[in-house]
Formats: sequence, structure tokens, C-alpha cells
Amino acid sequence: MSDSKPQSALRDRFDEFAADRSRQDWVIDLGPFVLLALLMVVFSLTSPVFLTFSNLVDNVLRNSTILLLVSLAGTFPILQQSIDLSIESMVGITGVVAAILISDFQVGVLGLFAAVLAGTVFGTLNGIVFAKFKIPSFLVTLGSLSILSGTALLMTGGTSIPYRNPGVRWVATGYVIPGVPNLVVWGLLFYLLFVFVAFKTPFGRYCYALGENETVADLSGVDVDRYKIGAFLVSGTLCGIAGALLTARTASAAPGMGTGLLLQSIAAIVMGGTALTGGVGGPHRTLLGVLVIGVLANGMNLVGIQSFVQDIVLGFVVIIAVAMSMDRRKIDIVK
Amino acid sequence: MGANTASDVPGGAGPVGGGSPRLSVEDLSKSFRNVDALTDVSLHVRTGEVVGLVGENGAGKSTLLKLLTGIYRPTSGRIVVDGEPVEISGPRDAGQRGIAIVKQEQDVVPNLTGYENLYLGRIPDYARLGVIDSERMRADAQRIVDDLGMGFDVSDPVKSYSFNERQMLEVAKAFSESIHTDNPVILLDEPTAGLEEDSRDLLFERIDELRDQASFVFVSHELDEVLQVSDRIYVLRDGALISEQRTADATESSLQQAMVGRETADEYYRTDRQRRTDVDADVVLAAEGIERDGAFSDVSFSLREGEIFGLVGVEGCGKSALGRVLCGADAPDGGTVRVRGERIEPGSMSAMVEAGVGYVPRDRKAEGLLLYQSLPMNISLPSIGTDRVTDPLYGIGSALGLIDHDKEVAMAEDAVAELDIRTPDIEALVHQLSGGNQQKVVLGKWLAREADILVLDNVSRGIDVAAKEEVYRVCRDLVDRDVSLVFVGDELPEVIGMSNRIGVMKKGRLVDVVEAPRDDKPTESDLITKMI
Repeated sequence: MSDSKPQSALRDRFDEFAADRSRQDWVIDLGPFVLLALLMVVFSLTSPVFLTFSNLVDNVLRNSTILLLVSLAGTFPILQQSIDLSIESMVGITGVVAAILISDFQVGVLGLFAAVLAGTVFGTLNGIVFAKFKIPSFLVTLGSLSILSGTALLMTGGTSIPYRNPGVRWVATGYVIPGVPNLVVWGLLFYLLFVFVAFKTPFGRYCYALGENETVADLSGVDVDRYKIGAFLVSGTLCGIAGALLTARTASAAPGMGTGLLLQSIAAIVMGGTALTGGVGGPHRTLLGVLVIGVLANGMNLVGIQSFVQDIVLGFVVIIAVAMSMDRRKIDIVK
Repeated sequence: MGANTASDVPGGAGPVGGGSPRLSVEDLSKSFRNVDALTDVSLHVRTGEVVGLVGENGAGKSTLLKLLTGIYRPTSGRIVVDGEPVEISGPRDAGQRGIAIVKQEQDVVPNLTGYENLYLGRIPDYARLGVIDSERMRADAQRIVDDLGMGFDVSDPVKSYSFNERQMLEVAKAFSESIHTDNPVILLDEPTAGLEEDSRDLLFERIDELRDQASFVFVSHELDEVLQVSDRIYVLRDGALISEQRTADATESSLQQAMVGRETADEYYRTDRQRRTDVDADVVLAAEGIERDGAFSDVSFSLREGEIFGLVGVEGCGKSALGRVLCGADAPDGGTVRVRGERIEPGSMSAMVEAGVGYVPRDRKAEGLLLYQSLPMNISLPSIGTDRVTDPLYGIGSALGLIDHDKEVAMAEDAVAELDIRTPDIEALVHQLSGGNQQKVVLGKWLAREADILVLDNVSRGIDVAAKEEVYRVCRDLVDRDVSLVFVGDELPEVIGMSNRIGVMKKGRLVDVVEAPRDDKPTESDLITKMI
């Protein structure tokens, strides 16, 4: 009950309403920039290598690209107030599909397209089950997380599938632009494409509308199911792209190669400013979260913090980011 | 005005305590940053009195109640209880001084019993070593309820209570919070919202009987209720006390005039602008034998071009459900809905919108608006994908159009100008707007979509008098552009004033259609006899 709270705190909250709102807006809008800048300053002081071009591009950006693609994938369902938990095994199985096709069937670069297509299909299936059978998305995708990872393990017998094909490898590891690995270029291209999708297409707009209030969208004549399926289609496709590029980069694929990406991507999405409550933020912001995590991981590596400790740090980062981003929608104007 | 009439105004029934008032406020003001929510308000409540408090949304009623219960502190002025100036630190403190509030929303936990709800915030007082003494709590609660003459058992879970009993429980709770004082002042904040006629009368009876034990401040939008229960009525406007009227001298129109600041009653519904519709005008929306399980069955009717078709009936008669099926929000379980003769895929809102139908839902916050999105985004929502806000993608065509933000803002600006939406700026988030302006945004969505058939469910619900008047004007403007309206309403005078024809629903059936031309309107009782 309201009167069980300390009265002074309550009064302050009411009186300082406007100020509270804008302060939290500032935190959400500028927080990731400040955090990123802060981390860069700290790590450039603790490690002489950190602030070099080769470290920033070859390590930070290249290692962040897969996370960026997976985080972009996860952004669309979250924007709609759903969630796609299957992205880890989606990356694994699409990578395995590509590697098997390339090594056993010698299809070359076509294998990468097959991986993307597989992602699209799996994502669409997720979406159809979620939208048409009205099962919560976290349950559907939790199920498909297990189904897809089991399938990938069955296909490979649990081992990794290497292949020899320099052409395929070049897709990710070559240099179209001197000094910048192709992988990073792909990441940038897909980033721009999906920011465009979010802001300029009806699909993107409906993601925001659905995330804010599905009933309102429905009663305004939006074909809600179609766009819910669309979000998972996009998510699956982007995971397929991530799986394909990861396979191209490492010249092999393993069923578990997506492990760890789920938590990291949720951290990146939420830290970027897309709240789990939907309707705010967007893929443009997700890049910030990805960079924060990329810089954090790189910096901790350079300083020599062991990976177990890094996991602990990441866990805290997720919780704090979620806490910061969830609160503001509960605040309403009081007259 | 309002400071002078300190003369004794005894109520019809209750005893009147002499001497100083039980509760008074003197020159009370409250500002939030640069907004004055309440300015120099002085009023008083005597023992045993029922004092009405009316005003439009934003007139300062809620602010005053929050000051009286200590949720806000006054910027200046003071609150006086029994002649002593007091500083109220919060709802609990207010209760100890004998001031308690019954809020509009029922804050009950359905799975707990009546007595647990009654003492919800004070359960630790009844615990020894962490174990609750339920029997003592129950006995205390039952005594309070019995003393108040309310005949329900506090050991029953609240989910088994009727809506009215829950409201009574809230009143009992208010009493129990101020139990340590004689003659508490109970603030009733829209206590009849959602109550049915019978329950309403019961509540009023109870209030009348309790006059010897308590004083009441009765806040409501329903002026007839205020006139029915109050001894005196204060009118607030724009944070200031505009007038104090004895109930004996006051009328609905005198109160309304004070609240709005101008004459309204006659031109309220702009009946003079009602279009005459021909019997052989085109039928734009037709229902043939439609039914929906558990809501209504075998309903056939047709909506003619340029007419307003009212739908009335008591709660649970199925009129809202019918509205939802007519616009496509819900699928009928039988029968067909035709738009201009074309059969539309049942229950597909998107197909209906495509055919030119729009829906203004009963609950605009939950179903009508994206509260935390911008005004242009709300206005354009039904129009996304049409060439009004979307440019065809070069070489691919309009199926994959791109949203043109400039067109979108222009669309919103048109709606703002046409509907006179008051907004701090064009990109404002709609939750920042007042209720009346929010409702205009919902109407603006369909105006921008150029929908020519609209189903409106209680379009003026929960907005103040001035905003209602503007919404009625918008409805008339829409009709002038050949838009046809289905006008579902709980308020009979409104439906009668607005409609060309009125469909009366009773227990899920459309029992009659009453003609309501502008020079020969049916009376409320004409309709009520058909409704029950």
C-alpha cells in the first residue's frame, strides 16, 4: 500500500516528477555513450595496446561483429515485447548446415546462402508457432533452442565440421577495404540495412506499435500476426547470416559455436536502450551496447582478467542494464 | 466568490454541529514548478454534512484530495481540523486525524477475506511474534462493518462480494482508518464509477444514514448524483473555487455553467446540425443475423450514409460487443457483416480498415493509443502502408513502401489543426496530453485514414465537459463529410442528442429501433422502458 512508504520519499517523488523523468531519459539516452567513453579511457590507461588501430579494428570490431548481428536479430522481437531465446542454437545449426554443404557437397559460397535460408525458415517457424498458436515467445524459442541444438548435435555427432575452401573463408577474412576485415564490413552493412528497416518500413514501425500496445495496433487495422511472424523471420535470418559468417571466418562449424551469445546479446540490446518492455529503443541503439560489451571484453583480456571473472562481470552488467531501462514506462504524469 | 456564504446550511436529514467546522482549508494553494494546480481555495465541512465537490478534469479536485490526505504538501495556506491548524504528513496521519479517502479504484485483493482486506496495511498490528491473530482481526472488522449497518460477512473472500459490497468495504476501510476519532471526514473520490443504479442508490442511502457518525466530501463527474446526496456544492475551475451553491438552489445547468464558465445545455449536442437522412439513403454498413456467443444474438440492422445510429442498453446487454463485431475487432459466431454491400472477412480488423471502417474503443488508454509514442506516430498508425504516409519503393512498388516522416508530421499537423488538439508540440508523446485531447487523437487517427464508417464506443467517456462538447462537434463535422457513425453510449441524453436513430438492446437482442429526428427526440424514459 502506498502509505507504507516513507512519506518524505513519496512527496519528493511527486514534487520532483518532471526532473525524475528527464534524468532517467538522459541516463538511457546518453548512458551507453558515457559508459563506452569511460571504458575506453580506463583501458587506454591500463593497457598501451588498447588504443591502437589494429587492436580496435582487428580485435574489438572483428570480435564484436557476430555479436552485433545476433544482437540486431534479437532487437526486433524485443522491440515487439517478445523475445527470441533460440539465437544461440540458430547460429550453431545454420553454421553446421553451411559447413556440411561446403565440405561434403562442395557447394562453395552457396553453402553460406543456404545457412541464411535455413535461419529464415527456422525463424519463421518460431514466429508461426508463437503468433498462430498464441504460445508465449519465450517458451516457443526456449523449446526451439533445445530442438535446434539437439538437431545440430545429431547432424555432426557432436564434433566440429572443418572444410577447405579459401573462397568461402575470404568472404569473412579477406580485405575489400584495406585494413578492415570483410567481416566488419558485413556487420556495418547489415547494421545500416536493419536500422533503415526499423525506421523507414511499415514493418519497423509496426514493431514499435506492437511492442507498445498490441491491442491498439490490432484495433487500428494492423495485421498483427503477420508482423509478429516477421520479427522472428528477421531474427532467424540475421542469425543465419551470423552463422554463415562465423563459419566462413573459422573455416569450420560446431554445434555449440553460438554458446554465450544469448546473454551477451540481451545485455547489448538492453544496454543500448531497447527495453524488454518493448516499444522503445531500436537496432540503431543496439550497436552501442555491442561496442560496450566488445570493449569491456577486449579490455579485460588485455589487462589479463580471466574469463570466469568476465562472465561474472557480464552478468552484473545485464542486470543493471535491465533495471535501468525497465523503470521509466511505469512513470506517468500526475495531475 | 465563495468566501462569504458561511451561513449554516443544514442538510435534509443529518444533525448539524455548531461551532467551528469539522474540517476547513484556508487559502490553500499548490504549485508544481510553474503550474498552479490550486490557488487560494477556502472551504469547510461541518459535522454531519455531505459536501459536493465538482469541476472539470484538471480543475484541482484531485490535488485538493491529495493535500487533504497528506500526499502533497500545500505551497501556501493551511488545513484546519476542529479549529486547530494541522500539517498532514501522509494518508496514515490523515486517518489518525479523522480524514480518510475512498478512492475510485477498488484496491482490494480478491483472494483475501473481507477482514484481511480491511486491515491490509495494518496486519502487523494484529500479529504477535509474527503470527496473525485472525480471530481478533475478524471480530474488529465485523464490528466496524456492523456498526456501519452493512450486512456482509467479513470472513468471506472478497472475490465473492458484489461490486457494491466491495465499494462498501472501501467505505468501511476508510472508517476503520479513522477509528480513533469521532465523526471522521470521509472523502469519496468518484465512488459511483462503475456502480449500477441500484448499488448507487444503496450507497447514497448508506451515506445518508451515516450522517450522524461522519461527514462526507463527495467528488463526482455525475452532477445529478452530487445534487442528490450533497447539502452544499463547491465548484472548482482552473484550480480556483468558483462558486458555492446550496443544493436547494443548484441545478445541473447552474453547476455546469459554473464549471465550464458558459451556457451549455441547449447547444451541447448541436442537434441543429443533425443531418436529415432519407430512408432510401445508401446503406453503408449492414449486419444480417449476427451473433456472438455469450454477448448477443440474431442482430440485424443497417447504417445509412451520413447518419448517426445510437446503441443503448443496460450494462451487459451486449451493445459494446456488438460494436466490436461491427467494426471487425471481434469475429461474429454467426451471420454476416457487409460494408457497402461487400462481405468482409469476419473478424479481420485490417480488412475492415481497408474497407473504410474505424473503431474508437471504450478504453482509449488500453485500446486506443500508443501512450508512449509520439502524436504523429499515433495519428498515422492506421494509415501506414497507404500512400498518405508511405512512398513507394522505387522499382518495387507500393507493397513495400517506405514511411515518409514529413508526410507523417504533416498529417498530424492537419489533425491537430482540424480537431483543435492542444499539445505542447507536434512530436509530444500522447500520454502527456489531457484526456480530452487524447480522445481527439484517437478520432484523428480515423480522420487521417479517411475512414467513412466509424464505430464509437462511449466516445465522451472520462473527459471533461468542454472536451465532450468538442468531441460532439467533431462527430457533427465528420457526418458533414458523409462519414456514418455507430454511436454506442452509456449516457442516454448524449445518445438521444446525437443520434438519428437509436437501437435499443436488451439481453443480447436488438429489441427496437427508435427514430430520433432533431425536432422529435425520444425521452430518456421512452428508451428506459424498452431497455429493462
